[in-house]
Amino acid sequence: MTETLVIAKRELLERVRTKWFVVVTLLGPLLMIAMLVIPAAIASRGAAGAKIAIADDSGTLAPVLVAALSDKKFDFEPSVVPAGVTDDELRGRIARREISGFLRIPKDVLDTGAVTYQGDNASNQTVDAELQIVVAQAIFIQRAASLHLTDTQQAYLFGSPPKVTAQFTTGTSEGASGLGAFFLGYILTFIMYMMITLYCVNVMRSVVLEKTSRVMEFMVAAVKPRHLMGGKILGVGGAALIQISVWLAMGGLMLANKDAILGTFGIGGGGSGTGSAFPPLGLDDVAIVIAYFIVGFFFYSSLFAAVGAMVSSEQDTQQVQMPVTMILLVGLLCFQVISNDPRGGSASALTTIPLWSPMLMPMRYVLGGASLGDVAVSLGVLVVSTVIVVRGAAKIYRVGVLMYGKRPSFVEVLRWLRY
Amino acid sequence: MTALALRVDGIVKRFGNHVAVDGVSFEVQRGVVYGVLGPNGAGKSTMLRMINDIIAPDAGTVRILDDLAPGLAAARRIGYLPEERGLYPKMRVLDMIVFMAELRGLRGGDARKRSEAWLDKLGLGQWRDNKVQDLSKGMQQKVQFATALIHEPELVILDEPWSGLDPINAEVLRETVEDIVKAGRTVLFSTHQMEQAEKVCDSVCIIARGKKILDGELAAIRRAAAEEGRIAVAADGEAARRVLDDRTLVAAGATAATGDGVTEVRMADGVSPDKLLAALVGAGASVRRFEVVTPSLHDIFVSRVGREAAIAVRHDGEAGAAS
Repeated sequence: MTETLVIAKRELLERVRTKWFVVVTLLGPLLMIAMLVIPAAIASRGAAGAKIAIADDSGTLAPVLVAALSDKKFDFEPSVVPAGVTDDELRGRIARREISGFLRIPKDVLDTGAVTYQGDNASNQTVDAELQIVVAQAIFIQRAASLHLTDTQQAYLFGSPPKVTAQFTTGTSEGASGLGAFFLGYILTFIMYMMITLYCVNVMRSVVLEKTSRVMEFMVAAVKPRHLMGGKILGVGGAALIQISVWLAMGGLMLANKDAILGTFGIGGGGSGTGSAFPPLGLDDVAIVIAYFIVGFFFYSSLFAAVGAMVSSEQDTQQVQMPVTMILLVGLLCFQVISNDPRGGSASALTTIPLWSPMLMPMRYVLGGASLGDVAVSLGVLVVSTVIVVRGAAKIYRVGVLMYGKRPSFVEVLRWLRY
Repeated sequence: MTALALRVDGIVKRFGNHVAVDGVSFEVQRGVVYGVLGPNGAGKSTMLRMINDIIAPDAGTVRILDDLAPGLAAARRIGYLPEERGLYPKMRVLDMIVFMAELRGLRGGDARKRSEAWLDKLGLGQWRDNKVQDLSKGMQQKVQFATALIHEPELVILDEPWSGLDPINAEVLRETVEDIVKAGRTVLFSTHQMEQAEKVCDSVCIIARGKKILDGELAAIRRAAAEEGRIAVAADGEAARRVLDDRTLVAAGATAATGDGVTEVRMADGVSPDKLLAALVGAGASVRRFEVVTPSLHDIFVSRVGREAAIAVRHDGEAGAAS
C-alpha cells in the first residue's frame, strides 16, 4: 500500500505542478462564466438595429409592421420599399450592406399568412423569433380589421399574448426553466465525458511512456504491477478530482450569484437567454457528480491502463483505444434520451449500465428523473462492475507491461486474463 | 542469517517452444562478486528477471538472502539495475532518486539526504535540479545506478552494467562494485564482457543456450583449466620439433603456433610440464621460452562453449565497448 501511495504522489505532483494544470484549472471557471454570460449577452442584445425593408405587395401590412418593428421592444429599423422593386434588387441592397434583409409580403397574405424573409441575419434565431411574433400579430390585426372588430375588441384579442413557461416539477431543477435545466444537465454530462476521457487517456499515455522510456522493468522490480497501476490511477485521478472540485465549487458559486454576475456585465437577470434560467447546483448534485466521477474514473482508467500496457508505442494506442473511446462517445450522444424523458425506461436503463451511468446519471438526477434510490442502485452496479474491470485490467496490465514488439491478438489478451 | 545470498535451483523458463532457461542451478555466497556470463540470448536476463520476481519460472525455485522467495519482502533487500535502462524523462534528477528511495521504504529526510550524497559521489551534484532528459546517456545511467543502490541493498543485481559506459565511467562502476563488497554486501551481475568479469568476479556461472556450462570460484576454474596442461614453448631446431611431435609427451592435434615463434601445446595425459621441459633440454633444443599458460576467462569460455559462441561473445564485447 505504501508503494501505491508513493507512486500516486509522484503521478499527482507531476501533473499539478505543471503550468498547464494551473491554467486549465483556472480557465475552466472562466469558460463557465463565458457560457453563462455570452448567450445571455447575445440574447439581451437581440437583433437591435437590424435594417428591415418591407416589400408589401398586399398594400395592407406595411404600416402596422413599421409601427411594430420600430417599437423599443424590438428596436429594428424598418423601411417600406416602393411597389415593383424585385427580390433581386433587394438582394443587391443586402450585398451592398444597405439593408440587413427584407420581408416579401404577397398579395393574398391575409388568406395564406405566408410571408418570406431574406437577409444576411436570417440565421439569427432572435430575428427569426421576433419577426414571427410581429408579422403574425400584424396579420391578425388586419384580419380583425377586415372583420370590422372594434378597437376594444382588438385590444382584448391582442393585448396579452399567450405564453407557456416550461418548468420542472421535480429534482434540483424544480421551478427552473426547462431550457436552463437542460443546459445544466448537458454541461454536467459533457464535463464528465471530457474529464473521464482526458484523464483516462492521461493514464494510458503514462503507461506507454513508462514502456517507451524503458523505466517499466525498473519499476516492476521494485513494486507489484498492480500497485503500479493502482498508484497511477490514484495519482492521475487525484489531479482530475482537484480540477473537477474547483470547477464544481466555482460553478456552484456562479450559479448561486448568477444575477450579480450578469449584472456586472450589464446584462439584466430577466433576459430570455439560457444563463439566467440555470437552476442552482445543490450539495446532493455535487456529491453525485463527484461519486460518479470517482467510480467512473476507476472503471475507465483501468481499461485505458490495460490498453496502454498492450501497446509498445504512442502510435499504436490510436487503434487499440478506439473501442473504449467509442463506448464513451455513445454515452455522450445519448444525453438527449435523458433530457427528453428523464423518468422514462430508456433513461433508467442507460443510467444503470455502468459504461454510461457515470456520464448520464448526474444529468438525469439534476433533471429530476432519478430518486436517491435509483442513484444508489446505479452506483452499486457501477462499483461492482468497476471491481471486476479493475481486476481484469490488472491482469492484462501485469503481463502487458513487459511485452514489447508485436501487438497482442484478442485471443492472447484473453489468455492473459487467465494467468 | 544464512551464508548464502542466493540459491537458484533448477529454474526453467519457456517462451512458447523456446526454452530460454533450462534447469539452471547455482549458489551465491554472501559478500562476493558473482558473474553470470554468456553470449546474448544465453538466458542471463531472463534468469535475473525471475530472481527479481518480474517473471515467474515454469519450474525450479529461487531463494534470496534469508531463504526468501522472490517477492516484495525480497525486493526491498535487492538493488536491481535492469539491462533496459530507463528513467522518467521529465522528473528532476534529485526527485527521481528520492522517489525510488521512497519506493524502497526510505522516508522523507533520509531519502533526500542519501540521494544528495549519491549525486555528489557520482559527480552529478550540479545536475540535481535538472530534468532527467537534460542529462547525457552516461549520466542517466549513473543516476539509475544510484536509484538501484540508494537503499543500501544486501544483494545488488546488475544486468549488463558495463554496457554503454565509457572507460572512465566503467572504472567508476568497478570501484563502486568493490566498495559494495567491502561493505559486506553481495553483487551479482550478468555480462558478456569477459575482460570486465575477469577483473571483478570472485565466482562465475557460465551459461549458453539456456544451460549452465560451469560454475564456481574464478580462481579455482582457472587453476583447473591450467592443470589441463597448455604450455607456451619457444624452442628452435630439429631437436625441438622432434620432441614436440612426440605423442607420448604432447597430445595429438593440440599444437598451435601463436606467433613470434611461440607454439602452444597441450600435454599428453599424465605428462607433467617438467617432463616436457626435461625432454627438450635433454634433446639439446635451444629453449627461449617455456611457460605454463594460465587461460583467460575468454579462453575457458571458448573451450567450454565452443568457438561459434565465443566469436559471438567477442563481437558483443567489442560492440558494448564501442557503444
